[in-house]
Amino acid sequence: MKHGKWTVALLGGLLILSLFLTACGVEETPEPTEPPAAAEEPTKAPMEAPAEEPVAVTYWHTMSDAEVEAMEEVIAMFEAEHPNVHVEMTRYAYDDFKSALLTSLAGGEGPDTARLDIIWVPELAEMEALSALDSAMSDFDEIATKTFPGPLATNHWQGHYYGLPQDTNTQVLLWNRELFDEAGIEAPPATLDEFKQIACALSKGEEQYGYAMGGTYFWAPAPVFYAMGGKVVDEGITTAEGFVNGPESVAAFQMLVDMYNEGCLSPNLLGGGVGTSDGLATGLYAMIIDGPWMVDIYKADFPEFEVNFAPIPTGPDGTSSSVVGGQNVVVFDSSQHKEEATEWVRFLLSEEAQLKMAERGVIPTLSTIIGDPGLPEYFGVFLEQLKTAQARVPHPKWGDMDGAINNAYQRVLRDEQTVQEALDQAAEEINALLAQ
Amino acid sequence: MAALTREHSRQPGQPSPLARCLTLLQRTYRARTAYLFLLPGLVLFGIFVIYPMLYSLRISFYDWNVIKPARSEWVGMDNYKTLLISPVLRRAVLNTLAYTVTTVPGQMILALVVAILLDQEIRGKTLFRVAYYLPVVTSWVIATLVFEYLFNSQAGLINYMLRDVLRLVHEPVRWLADPILAMVPIHLLGIWKGVGWSAVILLAALKEIPADLQEAAAVDGAGPWHRLRDITLPLLRPTLVFLLVVLVIGALNVYIPVLLMTNGGQPLDLTHSALTLMYKETFDRLNFGGGAATSYLLTSFVFVVSIVQIRLLRQRMEY
Repeated sequence: MKHGKWTVALLGGLLILSLFLTACGVEETPEPTEPPAAAEEPTKAPMEAPAEEPVAVTYWHTMSDAEVEAMEEVIAMFEAEHPNVHVEMTRYAYDDFKSALLTSLAGGEGPDTARLDIIWVPELAEMEALSALDSAMSDFDEIATKTFPGPLATNHWQGHYYGLPQDTNTQVLLWNRELFDEAGIEAPPATLDEFKQIACALSKGEEQYGYAMGGTYFWAPAPVFYAMGGKVVDEGITTAEGFVNGPESVAAFQMLVDMYNEGCLSPNLLGGGVGTSDGLATGLYAMIIDGPWMVDIYKADFPEFEVNFAPIPTGPDGTSSSVVGGQNVVVFDSSQHKEEATEWVRFLLSEEAQLKMAERGVIPTLSTIIGDPGLPEYFGVFLEQLKTAQARVPHPKWGDMDGAINNAYQRVLRDEQTVQEALDQAAEEINALLAQ
Repeated sequence: MAALTREHSRQPGQPSPLARCLTLLQRTYRARTAYLFLLPGLVLFGIFVIYPMLYSLRISFYDWNVIKPARSEWVGMDNYKTLLISPVLRRAVLNTLAYTVTTVPGQMILALVVAILLDQEIRGKTLFRVAYYLPVVTSWVIATLVFEYLFNSQAGLINYMLRDVLRLVHEPVRWLADPILAMVPIHLLGIWKGVGWSAVILLAALKEIPADLQEAAAVDGAGPWHRLRDITLPLLRPTLVFLLVVLVIGALNVYIPVLLMTNGGQPLDLTHSALTLMYKETFDRLNFGGGAATSYLLTSFVFVVSIVQIRLLRQRMEY
């Protein structure tokens, strides 16, 4: 009987304990996971491992095959200079990256550093996931002044810089010379009026479209939108009223919608059609707008295809523009090896690393190496375009703003609203996001 | 077990609550071995199912900061309120229900036909069985991509057949650009991929039906149709009900084909299923509270549907 009592006590205890644990767990986890302890770690870590075992710095990214090959060389160069640090890179698919990053950060298993799409930096900074590099790196200003101001600005959120621009890009016009020759058109369009005319001249029903864009998400119409003088919000990011629905923005979308209705813009942008890169190479599309990575994509998929770039045609005021893309390198607030991590960031911003990556089509962010003979020739048009290219709204809610403009564009293409009505609605939605 | 039954027989007429509590403890104690064996499973269940469920219930009442949970803001029922008035959620629920209503009967009827055909003495039976089962073991992602190619509006085989071969349409059909038409490839894929599995289950049930019943009916002059209606179908009922329950739960959880074919709800967030919306809220919009609330709404809905179905199952088993 004595034995039995013990079992009852044990079972009861376990039952109570399990209830208690669940209750506590729910209660306890939201505690700030003790940041002071995390902050102390990095100073301890080097002392604990005195140059015997190299410190592992993890680095997550979404690079292409070609970029990974170049990055492996960059890592080897870095490790040769810093034998105490070992960089472990992990590659993710772009679409899965944010969820993988967030779940691992939430679980305390996040990386030390990562290469992030520039539009994600404000979002993650707002969630307090990132370390402010302008306070963490004593030589931040020195490095920052060497970079292009546009890409650098995408790291800024509420008074601090949360990253450094690792690479930059923009979109320019790509045109199929064969189709141009066939129609007797000698050069790519210089103005957007010409662009529309040529696109329509090169359209033959379903057989051929003068222009095609990959979708209705903002990145696709952005070059034309900015070249037409369109704006999403004001300088201070306080309102969209009069900007995303202002006359220039309306004119930009009106032009694209007219082209679509006249059969000069391929319907693939609505989904479920032939992709832009395949379409351009196979002669289904005469012009697309895309980035520098297309060189490597065509090298792999259509080695015979002659890639021709041209600047985005100029808008009514005579200036060309486009959209700034690119990636920033960040250090996570949860990193246990901040010192080594910032050392790695510093190296990624060095001339040797940037030139190595440039060999594989990655546009550098250091203004000091522009004109270096090591840069590929086709960078010229992109570097020129970058001078006038504009950044999307650096705001944590940019994803939703993009969605608002995307939906407006869809509604107009589907003939549910006029451009003005659709963009008025988008302005209202964006203002609601700004007010949050 | 013996201890348990003895306990039952010994129970007095109407015990006081305290006495009842004591007998419960007593019974628990007598079955201690059983509980000890259950313990490891229960602990795992608690850690990996119950705990996350409670945790996400908590998240659903917050504007949740996943990285610094302490900074999360309590918003009460706001996440639920926002969802319940959201046209996107309403559409997602409708889409999910539509998927269930077409793919579940679609799979069951076709599976029944296939199972009956495979039950005949035909040549190459094994080959057909394998062929019908192949879609089941194919990866959802690959099958979805293949369907996307087939239904490509500019270069797809389906449009080629409809327009150039059969001449049923004049313009190419823009399958994936239209929120309603996009459902066609998604639903067809769901049916195509599931038929084989249901057919195998039904085939096993068909083998259980005694041959002499069929023979006796045939001798009495019942044709194939009568035998199907009066013998095969009634005897298959428990299996059909089982399939119904399992397929409905599966259909309400449709995710991969919708996510891939519609790029997560495109166009205009009109093509979401409940799960793609949950994913979008959580990981695209980083609205973890809203995502958790969506999952709770979905869970309560599946719960109600399952209860209704279990009732149905019980009734039919007693025919």
